[in-house]
Parts: sequence; structure tokens; C-alpha cells
Amino acid sequence: MSNDFSQFQDAFFEEAGDHLAVVEEGLLALEQHPEDLDLLNKIFRSAHSIKGTSGMFGFNAVAQFTHKMETLLDLLRNGQKVVTPQIADLLLKSTDCLKTLIDAAKSGSPVDDETVQRLTVELASASTAGSQPTAQAPPASATAPAQTGGSQGHVYRIAWTPPDWLFQRGLDPLQIFKELANLGTLSKIAVDTAKLPDLAVMDPEKCYLSWTMKLETVKARQVVDAVFEFVREDSHLVIEEREALGVRREAQDASSTPHPSPRTPDGLEGDPKPLGELLVESGAVSRETLDKALSQQKRVGEILVEQHAVTPEQVDQALQKQKQQESVAQSKKTDTASIRVDTDKIDKLINLVGELVITQSMLSDLGARFEMSQISVLLERMAQLERNTREIQERVMSIRMLPIGTAFSRFPRLVRDLSAKAGKKIQLVLSGEETELDKTVIESIGDPLTHLVRNSADHGLETPEERLDINKPELGTIRLNAFHEGGNICITVEDDGRGLNRDKILAKAVKQGLIGENEKLSDDQIWPLIFKPGFSTAEKVTDVSGRGVGMDVVKRNIEGLGGTVKIKTALGKGTTFTLKLPLTLAIIEGMTVRVGKDTYIVPLLSILESIQPKASAVKTVVGKGELINVRETYLTMIRMYEVFSLQPEYTDPTKAILLILETEGERVAVMVDEILGQQQVVIKSMEQNFRKVAGVAGATILGDGTVGFILDVRGLIEMSRHAAPVAA
Amino acid sequence: MGKTALVVDDSPTMRQMVAFTLTKAGFKVVEAEHGKDAVNKASAGPKMDIVVTDLNMPEMDGISLIKELRKMAAFKFTPILMLTTESAIEKKQAGKEAGATGWIVKPFNPEVMLKIIAKVLPA
Repeated sequence: MSNDFSQFQDAFFEEAGDHLAVVEEGLLALEQHPEDLDLLNKIFRSAHSIKGTSGMFGFNAVAQFTHKMETLLDLLRNGQKVVTPQIADLLLKSTDCLKTLIDAAKSGSPVDDETVQRLTVELASASTAGSQPTAQAPPASATAPAQTGGSQGHVYRIAWTPPDWLFQRGLDPLQIFKELANLGTLSKIAVDTAKLPDLAVMDPEKCYLSWTMKLETVKARQVVDAVFEFVREDSHLVIEEREALGVRREAQDASSTPHPSPRTPDGLEGDPKPLGELLVESGAVSRETLDKALSQQKRVGEILVEQHAVTPEQVDQALQKQKQQESVAQSKKTDTASIRVDTDKIDKLINLVGELVITQSMLSDLGARFEMSQISVLLERMAQLERNTREIQERVMSIRMLPIGTAFSRFPRLVRDLSAKAGKKIQLVLSGEETELDKTVIESIGDPLTHLVRNSADHGLETPEERLDINKPELGTIRLNAFHEGGNICITVEDDGRGLNRDKILAKAVKQGLIGENEKLSDDQIWPLIFKPGFSTAEKVTDVSGRGVGMDVVKRNIEGLGGTVKIKTALGKGTTFTLKLPLTLAIIEGMTVRVGKDTYIVPLLSILESIQPKASAVKTVVGKGELINVRETYLTMIRMYEVFSLQPEYTDPTKAILLILETEGERVAVMVDEILGQQQVVIKSMEQNFRKVAGVAGATILGDGTVGFILDVRGLIEMSRHAAPVAA
Repeated sequence: MGKTALVVDDSPTMRQMVAFTLTKAGFKVVEAEHGKDAVNKASAGPKMDIVVTDLNMPEMDGISLIKELRKMAAFKFTPILMLTTESAIEKKQAGKEAGATGWIVKPFNPEVMLKIIAKVLPA
């Protein structure tokens, strides 16, 4: 039956994801405001939706589990139980478990059956303890009784007095007679008008009639009953079997039952119960004995360690590897994600495409019989075309834009769990959630951000005792903020903890051979050391962080997105990580410049200004190459033609143009022949089409159809450094 | 058939599935996200021949929606079916009191849903 609906599965998973987020956020908020009924209702509704919809796709494990959660939530919202921290915790854990169940339904990822089992039991016991027995979920066996025997036809005499509000519920007795007639032969229908009042006092919306009739049918009694399904309880209904007809009952009986055969949440096909459950059910062992036995059950890793077959480290490594493989496998599966777009946005887009079509037809009309006198009209049309294109581009980009709040939403829970685990008091302050950026960027920053937050909670913040000792408020703060800066988005992860320890980092770096013993490093050179692979100063490896994997991955991920990570820290005051990311990965605003006959695109974001220097401003310093004095600051001058081995028009800086570029806080002056103009360029990857080229971030196709290279400012600086001694 | 159905559910997936089933059976479907949305669409839109509504919804729940619709002249006798899960027996009673014609049990089988609709739909 669900075949028809399989096309809606993706929509379901997306919706379920949203509901899970609502439940989780709601539960976290509920811990602060246990009395908030609106909140409880919201959580309940989301759980209810997951349950109802998952059943449609036959995801019975999801439906059953959610049902258990829903039962408990219903008790909470009806006030039959109060929200205790234990219940909130149980529900949060159940939400996690539900998430794995839904993932399992989606991508076949593994489910920890034990956890599901344990939580199911806990949810059930939380729902029973201290509440009215009537409030329990109705037994699944409350279904229509099985159709029994009776291989013969029947004659029923039916007397029906409907409730007088029959019409007001949109019910029509005629419909019922028709349905009965479909079951067999309906005859001897008599209407009783005795209750019909005088016309003057009659309410035309009420039903005053009752009927008697005779039905000859081969269908079973239940089928006849089902006809009256919606009115039976409110009617006076007598169905008597008169005499038997010698007709064989047809086999289609069961299929014509107008009720779906209710799914019994318990006996499911293809979903055998664990042995323990079966034993408990058959009364062979008690629930307590089972739980105890289960808790004593050992993992294969523990057993092997006990037998000295492997070391705990080996098991640990293997487990990590397993986890990684799992997550890789899952990410592969879930890569084909969909995006939900407001119909409003699409309507506007269609509108714009309509305008584009109009402009295009106006242009081809003009081109068909063009005269030079119409040049001004042509220019006007071209301007219109440009406007249309730009608007469409903006709209299409905005489709991919999502508020960053979606990436932030996982953190309240994370911080709650971290603070519980580490025994610290931590408050999380989120701001700028509405800041929009590209969906791919949002999806890719989740993990790096998580790592930074974990890092802050674990290493950054002190324990409450330490904090009190140094006159800090007991409650540590982690602040996540997002904001636009130029064409970039900045995300900061800030804590008011102990700050980075210069000496510790230095000692560790020396020990690992990252730097020499007597090397003098500035602060700005020391902090980035924590991004080196394998670097961790944590004395104790916790399961939260400190394994030495992560910070390097954070940096790599962010740089992979074309972003940067900066650290600002003050000992005893806290640390701030600033991630700077491009809004989108596909298009940049660029300045086209000319060097000789070649055209390059310089990312507009990195350009501070352009100057034509006086001869006196150019100095040559031995070992440092050429410097240029810009308002009393000396900047390194890079002759682009030297780096890329081009044939320039000018070799004299006073005739050429110097672009002052900034990247990662470093400023340089880059010499080009001419600035051509500003335009948006679509980045075509070099790596995908050719190979990585130093100093070039990518290529693009220019207005005249030729290929232009997009300058990688960072790379250019590196290249000029290596070339510096030669140039000097 | 050329009939119009109002489908009310806050779950877009569920709503789409009901709408899909009804559209395939020849209904013109108007979708609403919750009770308030449904009341607005019911008072603005075309004449509805049948209403299928979820019960647990934000803004206005299904029971209140049924009560509101029954107050409107155009919906006085319109069949209104509620979508309920099998556990919500007490909801059935509340729905009937509010004026619901009948119910469809979630998860539903499309054929069964159409049968129930045919049962209450005026000829």
C-alpha cells in the first residue's frame, strides 16, 4: 500500500528532522520552564506527527518508539505527571534514540537495539508509575473481533433510530441505506414518523425519523455493523439475525471490511523480539533479572581485553575506526539532500524569468531589423537584460541561503550534555542566528563549530571551584555569534575561560619538534600551533576532547571552504575563535586587472585600495625585496609579472598601478599594469579540470570568452617570499 | 468527480499524502496548515464538498476547527472527517461532539480512505 507514497519519503525525513529539532529544543527549554504548557503541546504535536507519518511508510520501529514517547508526553501535558529532571533526561535520550531509528529507516544505519529496548522499558515505566491506569495507552488488541465462522448468507432485521443531530454532523441517512443496499438486498424499508413534530415547532436541521428494514446478505455481521460505524454509539440500533440462507459466504469478506486492519504495534512481521523480552513475556524471568543480566553482558572488546588478546588501546583505536567508517558511510548516503524553498521565492523567480523572456524577445525583435539609429534603444535593452540577469542570480542564490540558526540549533543540547559531563556550569549565548549563508557552507561548518564548542567547554572553561577562586562568576559562558562583514560571514566562538597558555603550547611544540628550542615566536605565531596535526596540551584525554584530533581538522575544513580561522586570547580572560567564511562558494565579486596581455581577477574582498606610487616611496631592502611606503607604513611590493613570468607593459612602479591587498591580516602591494573593471565571476575549479596551480585560486570565463585566472592572494605572497632572494 | 476537498494537517508530508490520494481520485484539493489557515481558506475559497482534518495542530486544533466550520452556513452539513491515530479514542468522542462526521485512522490505506469518503460524501 505504501508504494504510492514512497515519493513522499524524502519529505518525511526532512520533516522528521525538523520535528526532532523542535522536540529537542522544546525539552531543553522545558528544563528551565517545566510548567510551560504551550511548550509541552508543541513537543507533543511534533512527536505525534512523527508517529502518524512514519506509520504511513511502514517505519514501525519509529512509530512504536514515538508512541511510547507520546504517551509520556500526553501525561505531562494533561498534568497527570510533572516534568522532573529525570523525565526530561529520559525524553532527551529517547529523542536521540528516535533520531537513530529515523536514520536507520533512512539510510539503513545501525541501531543500538539494547538502547531502544531499555528506553522503551523506561518510557513505559515512567508512563505508568504514579498515573491513572486508564491513562495508559490503550491495548493494541482493542481491534475488531476476528470474523468468526458463518459460511452462510444472513437475513437481518435492522431498526435504526439515529440521533437527532445526525444532519449537523454532515451525515446523511440516505448514504447509509445505499451502503447497506450494496451489501445485498435491502427491502421492507419503513420510516417511522411518529416523532415528527408540528411544522411550526420543527427544527429543519434535526432528524426526527427512524427506520426499519430487512437486509439479505452474504456478508458477516461485522460488515453490517461497520456501515453504522460513525453513528452506532449515538443511535438506537438493533440488528437482529432472522433466518439463515443457504449461501456460501464469499472469500472477499475480509477485504471488504471498511476499516483498515489496525497495525498491532506489538506483533510485527520481520522484527523479532530480543530473547530477553520473550522470556520476560513468557514469565520465565522477571524484568529485573533480565535487566541485571543485560547489564552484566560484556562487549566483545572487553572480553578480548580480559583475555589479554588485545590491549585496551587497540580496542579503542578499532572502535574509533569503526565510528569513522560508519560516519563516512552515512555521509555518503545522505549527500543527496533536498532543499525546502518558500513558494514565494519560486513565484518571484518565475516572475523574473518571465521578464527575462520579454527582454529577450524585445532584443531579438530589435536585432531582426536593426538600424544604427536604434543604438540607444539597444543599450537600454541591454541594461534591462543586465538587470534581469542580476536579479535572477540574486534570487537563485537566495534559494540556497539558509539562516545559520539551523547550524546553531544543535549547540544548546551539546553544551548541556558537556556541562553535565565535565561538571562545569556553562551557559550558551547565541546571537545572529538569522544571518543567512549558503546551504553547503552551513552543512560543512557544523562539525568544525561543534569541535570548537567542545574545545571551549572542555579546555577553555575552568571548573566552578577554579572560577570562584579567581573571582570569576561560577557560571562560564560560551558565546556563538554570526554576522556579515563585507561579503563574508564571520562566526565567533567565544569563551570566558582560562585562555591559551603560551608556555604550555610552546613546550609542547618544542617537544613535538614543531619548532626549535630557542626559536623566538610572537603570540600570533604561537596560537596557530594548536592547529597542527596531533597537537593537544590536555594532560588527560577525555572522551570530550583532547585526543589531539580535531583542531587541525577544524582548520582544514574551514580553509576548504575558502575561509580562515583566527584566534584571539588573553590568559585568564578567555579565547575567541573567529571563522571567516565566504557567503557562497560559487561566485565572487572580482576586480579584473591586466598584466601585459593577460587578464587576472583579484577577489574584491582582499583589495583595500589602489595607488600609483612616487619614485621616492619605493625602497629596496636587502633580503626583504622591495618595499613601498604607503602613508608611513612599509609594505612588501610584489611584481606580479615576476611571480607569474609575464611580459609586462610597465616595469616601473611609478607608471604601473599598485593594488594594496590584505589577507589573513597581512598586507602587500601587488603591481599590475591596469585595472579593467569590477565584475562578478563564477569560479571554475582548477583542481577539478587541471591541477592545483600555485597562486591561482581558480579560473573563470571572461566577457570576451577568454579564460581569466583568479588570484590566490595568500598563494601569491608565499610565492613571492620564495622568489624574494632572487628578486632582491 | 469534480468535487473539492479541504485537507488540513500541520505535517506537510501527511497533508501531501492525503492530497495526493484525493487528487488521484479526482478531487480538487485545497490544503491548509492548521485550523486558522483552514477557517480562512474555507471562508475565502470555493465550496468544499468534504473536509479531512488532523486533530493535533498549532494555532487552532482540529476539534476547534470542526466547531468553527459547523458555525459557518456553508459547512453546516458538509462531511468532516478527522484523521486520528488509533489510540485517540477519547478524541473520537470529542470530535463527534464538535460535529465531525467520522474518522480515518492513521496510518491510513488510500483505498480505505477513499471508501470512507465515498461513504459520507453526498451524492
